[in-house]
Amino acid sequence: MAASQPFSVALQGGLDKSSNTMELLTRPGVATRLSNFEISTRGGYRRINGYTQLGDGTRPNTSNEILGMTVYADGVIASSGTNIYFSQDGDSWLQINKASVAGGGDNFSTFSGRSASARTSQGKAHFATFEGNTTYGEVIITDEGSGVKPFYFKMTGTGDALSSRTFFAKEITVSGTHFPKFCVIHDKHLVVAGAATALNTIFYSGTSDIDDFTSTGSGSIVLDDQVVGLKSFRNELFVFCRNSIYKLQNINDSSTIAIVPVTKNVGCVDGKTIQEFAGDLLFLAPDGFRTIAGTARIGDVELGTVSKMIQPIVNGIFDNIVDYEFSSVVLRDKSQYRMYYSGSAESTLNSKGITGTLTARGFEWTEVRGIQAPAIASGFNFAGKEKVYHGDRNGYIYNHDTGSSFNPEGVLTSILAEYQSPDYDYGDFGTLKTLDHVKVSLRPEGATDPTLRVRFDFDTTDRIQPPDVSLETNDPAIFGSSIFAATVKFGAAESPLIRQAIQGSGHSNFFKIFSEDTNAPYTINGLYINYRPSGRQ
Amino acid sequence: MATTYLTLTNEVLRELNEVQLTSANFASAVGIQAFVKESINKSLNDIANEEPQLPFFATATSGDTDPFYGNVNVSTVAGTRWYLLKAGSSSITTDYAAIDWDNFYLTTIGVSGEAAPFVSKGLRFITLTDWTRYIRDSENADDADTQNYGEPKYVIRSPDNRKFGISPIPDKVYKVYFYAFASPTELAAHGDVIILPDQYASVITARTRYYVHQFKENLQQSAFALDDYKKGMKRMKSNLINPQPKNMTDDRVYF
Repeated sequence: MAASQPFSVALQGGLDKSSNTMELLTRPGVATRLSNFEISTRGGYRRINGYTQLGDGTRPNTSNEILGMTVYADGVIASSGTNIYFSQDGDSWLQINKASVAGGGDNFSTFSGRSASARTSQGKAHFATFEGNTTYGEVIITDEGSGVKPFYFKMTGTGDALSSRTFFAKEITVSGTHFPKFCVIHDKHLVVAGAATALNTIFYSGTSDIDDFTSTGSGSIVLDDQVVGLKSFRNELFVFCRNSIYKLQNINDSSTIAIVPVTKNVGCVDGKTIQEFAGDLLFLAPDGFRTIAGTARIGDVELGTVSKMIQPIVNGIFDNIVDYEFSSVVLRDKSQYRMYYSGSAESTLNSKGITGTLTARGFEWTEVRGIQAPAIASGFNFAGKEKVYHGDRNGYIYNHDTGSSFNPEGVLTSILAEYQSPDYDYGDFGTLKTLDHVKVSLRPEGATDPTLRVRFDFDTTDRIQPPDVSLETNDPAIFGSSIFAATVKFGAAESPLIRQAIQGSGHSNFFKIFSEDTNAPYTINGLYINYRPSGRQ
Repeated sequence: MATTYLTLTNEVLRELNEVQLTSANFASAVGIQAFVKESINKSLNDIANEEPQLPFFATATSGDTDPFYGNVNVSTVAGTRWYLLKAGSSSITTDYAAIDWDNFYLTTIGVSGEAAPFVSKGLRFITLTDWTRYIRDSENADDADTQNYGEPKYVIRSPDNRKFGISPIPDKVYKVYFYAFASPTELAAHGDVIILPDQYASVITARTRYYVHQFKENLQQSAFALDDYKKGMKRMKSNLINPQPKNMTDDRVYF
């Protein structure tokens, strides 16, 4: 029998939807399908975590959609319906959009008893936190409904019980009847913009006086274009418009304050896609994801995009952009940017997302399916712990990126994860190859049972394709903090190499590893394939 | 349990590390699987071509009409010399694959209207050359003139291999018994059973591997498979055709 040949692949590069099948022959590490996987910080492709209900699943405002969220103090603030709520644990929610709150603050019972300051026509909410010198900082909330003034909320007091805290809340008057949609804290100022009555005007508050737009240091600037988002980055404020991007410089010096155009040809599709990530600003432009650094340095040219590998997906988003609602978040411990998008009537199952991870090779992308997250937020809570939450259209709030299953509305749901390699020709497309076996390098985080599928010659129907096989793994040995119980196993490999005999032959083949279960996540590190050349045909 | 076409195909596919077939997709097999299926039929034909008188190719069980020898009989007609070996066969493609020309037997036993003493004797095979040189002319003259005919003594083979002739031309009805061997029936459905005993199924798979390894341009493995096939054929022929005790007879007379 012809001598067997080895072929090994380290999985890296992420999803590649832009290369054609022949180009992909030279890029074996990328994936042609990578759904509900993420780029692991330790290399390889990791099945994503799930999400769990926050607390006991109590919704802040019945079935009203979660319009926006932010991590605040030792809990989370969520906008829903015409109200704004705060909760420490998700079991009970305190309505915080209260009127007539005393200037010196209300105690818990007084605050709870205040009448509501209704957030009329509340739309997608935007939050800005001014840390200042208060315990938890001050939060400003604007919304895209542009029907009410920005709302100010502050909480002080360090006891665990809300009853021991003091609450401050009020509406902030910006200018007459202008109700801005977007807000950001920039260099001791609150900057707001996008009011339906002044779409192209930005307003900034007084210096270190975020709730006053008339005090020293305050002002406004009219731009050429309509504002869709604001982001403070280093010592500049970036103003994202539909068709252009500006930066506001020297906000604290009235003699040199200036608006400088970054680009006049590229705008931002949706302000909810803007995130500060990996020392740069990432946002969804009409030609894909861009970084501000790339856009500013290269000018307006397309080279600034970092998502060429998933351009067909991005194009698909643009084809339905009027139907989609966007949200985005940065998972700092994973160097990962996530953007979720779905239509307002889209089911949870069909809701989609994109993850972008910055690696030594640049941005690498994956897809997410089954997470409906019109609102999402991450941040460090009062204890310094990074928390990530998302909310759905039925008013539920979830702990994002945790657990081994999806739990929409508390219903345990399997995670359908798919990785598919490009076709491998093993260096010569003309030679028929008979596969002997494959060794799959996995890093399971518990008992897992992914399935391996092999398809020859681009899954042609001219060949009988082999049946799927299981890549079941037992609990790995993971050391760290643990409680030794009867189920703990010692001596297991951390990254087992699972050998699986394969049937079939072809000129090329791809591997698909997929799972649809509630088992623990696992990382696919790479593949080792043993094959035998079987003639040129 | 008899080996089926599916079992045999999968046996070869397993050896080749190829995807096996199921009863559901057997008929629609493509690629290497289809080639293996075809090669199995080709191998069966190779076996039949190499040794057509292997017992499992016999067209019927011998001695069906006890105590006569042979598995086929043909009734003669007075005044007719030539008879189709396989009655009703339309062409050589549907004829018997092989005939045991050394074992033709002539009898009147079982012929309607015949009584003892019966004719019962073997017919000796003579070549067409001998027959045309020494016998044909006189028999043809008799047939054209007095039509006495006679009791057949010889059997001859027609040049097209479709008929046997008897000489002299029979003067009445006889029954001619002989051994016939059929071509292997092509395997088609997944449940079709091979005619070989299971212990010889490896001869088919060896020959099939010979073809498939050639297909995969693996000449070394193909040569090994051919060697396996040859050894298998040798053993099969030895076991099935010459299983009787070997002995020698010395009829020299010592003075």
